[in-house]
Amino acid sequence: MSKNIEKALRYIEKNCKADDYSISIWTKDSHETRFAQNTITQHIAGDNLQLSLEVAYDNKTGKARTNQLDENSLKDLIATAQNTAISNQPDPEYMPTLGKQVYPKPVNLIEATAKLEPAEMVEIVRKSIAHAEKQDARVSGMTEKHIQRSIIATKKGLYADSSFSEFGHSMTMKKGEAETKVSFNHKDYAKFKLKNELDRLSSQMDSLVQQKPFEPQRIPVIIRPEALIELISFMSWFMNRRQADEGFTPFTDQLGKNFFGKKFSLMSTLKDKDLIAPPFVSDGLPSEEITWVNKGKLLTMPTNRYWAQEKKAKPSQLYNIYVPGEGTTEAEMMKLVPKGLIINRFWYIRVVDMKRGELTGMTRDGVLYFEKGKIKHAVNNLRWNEIPHEVTRRILAMGESVGVEGYAKIPPMLIDAFNFVDKTSF
Amino acid sequence: MDYLDLAMNKALSLGADYADIRIQKTTTQMIYLQNLSLKNTSSNVLHGYGIRVFKDGVWGFAHSNQFNEKSLAATVTRAFEIAKLSARARKGAGLHLAPERSYIATYRTPVEIDPFDIPMNEKIELMMEVNKTIKNYEGIRQAVFYILMNKDEKLFASTLGSKLDITTQFINPLITATAVLDGDSQSRTFDEGGRAVGWEWIEELDLLGKAPQIAEEALMKVKAGTLGEEKRRTLILDPNHLGLTMHESVGHPTELDRVLGWEADFAGISFATPEKLKNYRYGSEIVNFVGDNTLPQGLATAGFDDDGVPGQKWHIIKDGILNEYGSTRDTAMEIGLNHSRGCNRATYYYDQPINRIPNLYLLPGTKPLTPAELIADTEDGVYIQGRGSFSIDQHRVNFQFGGDLFWEIKNGKLSRPLKKVLYKSNNPEFWNSCDAICDERFWQPFGVVNCGKGQPSQTARMTHGSAPARFRNIRVGGSQ
Repeated sequence: MSKNIEKALRYIEKNCKADDYSISIWTKDSHETRFAQNTITQHIAGDNLQLSLEVAYDNKTGKARTNQLDENSLKDLIATAQNTAISNQPDPEYMPTLGKQVYPKPVNLIEATAKLEPAEMVEIVRKSIAHAEKQDARVSGMTEKHIQRSIIATKKGLYADSSFSEFGHSMTMKKGEAETKVSFNHKDYAKFKLKNELDRLSSQMDSLVQQKPFEPQRIPVIIRPEALIELISFMSWFMNRRQADEGFTPFTDQLGKNFFGKKFSLMSTLKDKDLIAPPFVSDGLPSEEITWVNKGKLLTMPTNRYWAQEKKAKPSQLYNIYVPGEGTTEAEMMKLVPKGLIINRFWYIRVVDMKRGELTGMTRDGVLYFEKGKIKHAVNNLRWNEIPHEVTRRILAMGESVGVEGYAKIPPMLIDAFNFVDKTSF
Repeated sequence: MDYLDLAMNKALSLGADYADIRIQKTTTQMIYLQNLSLKNTSSNVLHGYGIRVFKDGVWGFAHSNQFNEKSLAATVTRAFEIAKLSARARKGAGLHLAPERSYIATYRTPVEIDPFDIPMNEKIELMMEVNKTIKNYEGIRQAVFYILMNKDEKLFASTLGSKLDITTQFINPLITATAVLDGDSQSRTFDEGGRAVGWEWIEELDLLGKAPQIAEEALMKVKAGTLGEEKRRTLILDPNHLGLTMHESVGHPTELDRVLGWEADFAGISFATPEKLKNYRYGSEIVNFVGDNTLPQGLATAGFDDDGVPGQKWHIIKDGILNEYGSTRDTAMEIGLNHSRGCNRATYYYDQPINRIPNLYLLPGTKPLTPAELIADTEDGVYIQGRGSFSIDQHRVNFQFGGDLFWEIKNGKLSRPLKKVLYKSNNPEFWNSCDAICDERFWQPFGVVNCGKGQPSQTARMTHGSAPARFRNIRVGGSQ
């Protein structure tokens, strides 16, 4: 523990007079190199720190946050949080802080990422640009490295401390009118192979050269993991126990029922070495292996401590996403339906109807039309309106699960009758 | 010597072509009340400085929260060193900065009652009363009152010799009632966006007086019918709906960094490319959009931007034609402009400023026209108030919008409330279909406080505005 953080914790412990308190500390050391149209446009480096103190007098709470750890700032922080709580109204849903907990020990901080130097990051960018220039194309993206640490400490003796690393490199290439993107995110920089990413980018670009107009319709789609994660993340956001119990989402009265398609399971896991898995979630609760959906049956939903107490359920939080796959290849999927589209990514997904779980969004970065098991040509981007849990009932096949965005591992899926409702001009 | 001078002298001694420092203290108060339970009552202070160094056509940016001379010097050096590293992946001679002169100036958001001076318990008492009023309606399952108060104190200096002392403030109240009935759930939200004013605005709004209407409209909405099949219809859109429509379909496409492709990897690019300037028909002849970072109570009104460029007012769309972009010192020169429009803004001290939408609004109609007259003049259409679902492609062409409250218009009258209405359109179809705009008496601002953009992501704020306007022949229907 750095000396300043240790000193701040001891100071609050000594000087905070509230009945109960919880301290959250978050630090982040980042280096971010952003490039666009074959040149660096932004280059950012620095450390961040935020300390948040939430206090309670009986069930009256107050919260304050600072990024300064000197005594005067901490004194102000304590006074602000305490005075807010004293003058506050009682919170009928207040939950006291937790005491000491036992945590799992996933490995999230990787040395290769921590040791990555800015000069090496710029070299990755330089090579990415050189690769685009050779193809008479333009590339934009970002190379980033983050080391984050999160601490929670309570008056009752809970102490949770976790660090993790992240490396990311994304590239969007534009050649003529065709655009496509690849991105890599992992806690371990050693897993990154620039050549693999550049080859993947070139391969995707080559498939997009010939584009033909395509009208919106219901049609089978192969959704690649980078697109699918967006759909599943939104659906997971709907999957809140209280929201469901109060009648706001499609999950009302669905616990224990076969609400999803039979092929679909959803978990949060500490066991997969590719995934960032925090040892604790909000309030300092230990992370646990959780199966949210098993072969279509909704087993449980994220539930905060207050609602868990009300419903005599176990509190839980979705901390990463693992969807098991089946191993069908993209080539095999194309042969399972007469024709369809391959979706690289989705864009600008928004909720249309919370109660039905309906979303809208666009495709981006390359849509391919296939017929009789072969890719024929690229098509224009399309708008879709869909209900993700209904989409899982139309899964025809799944590939192997692959890591995306550092926190998720999901397979590509072949979905029947995906609902495209509009098209755009490119 | 103060930190500003120390930083700039250090940058020049290292060999910077240009440098600036922004010492920024952001103070926020946030209260989130849901069903009489205070989910968040917090006061936050973030204080630090960001230093930009421009060297050989590329940027380096470093930030710190450590206020001592050693850390300051180290941060300047870090910015300089990474600028030098950036040069290894530079295209040609790199970027050029539009000319600008130095300024010594002060700006303060005019505020009658500083919201930070109002005791927390007074704010909470008002919020509790509003929350209770809404929750007491049978059928209302959830009542939410959220309020955000923000103050940014900035000291800016640049190697041009500028020294700026800027304090901006805003408030953003939001009240939502959610009704549940017969297997459906619908919300109604009071949302006039954020405004750069003091607590006096909250008093003027009479939020307790508005609470019954919010609850009743949520109940009306959950019982409302749907529109049925999508077809071409007439739309009349309120200012607090149009704010978001213009933000997405005019504001973002006319940010010069997007036009140049600098956002290609994440937020996307723009169809409104430079060859279209002065000749592309973006909208009908009555469509005039003005960028105005001098707008009173505007969220992007700060005297100067984070390039040290003064706030300006200019036509972005003039008589329907694409006229000019929102630009920064480093984007302007890329298309041969010799001046920036002052649109470079950062959110927190640790953010490198980027090209942002200015305060951007649709000028009111020049002929007298009331909303009632506009509705009376519409045979068959839909009237939309408030914002709902919104989605637009990454070139800013195709879009689909919902809303918060909908009325069917039949024979010049609001005939019945509706729910789950969506409209689909694109640029330039939508703005070219605008055939009537109410006059200036009905012009209203709408402040956006959470415009997400950039890698790493930042949330900027700006004010839009319009009078109610009519759009013909738009595809309007219900959700799936």
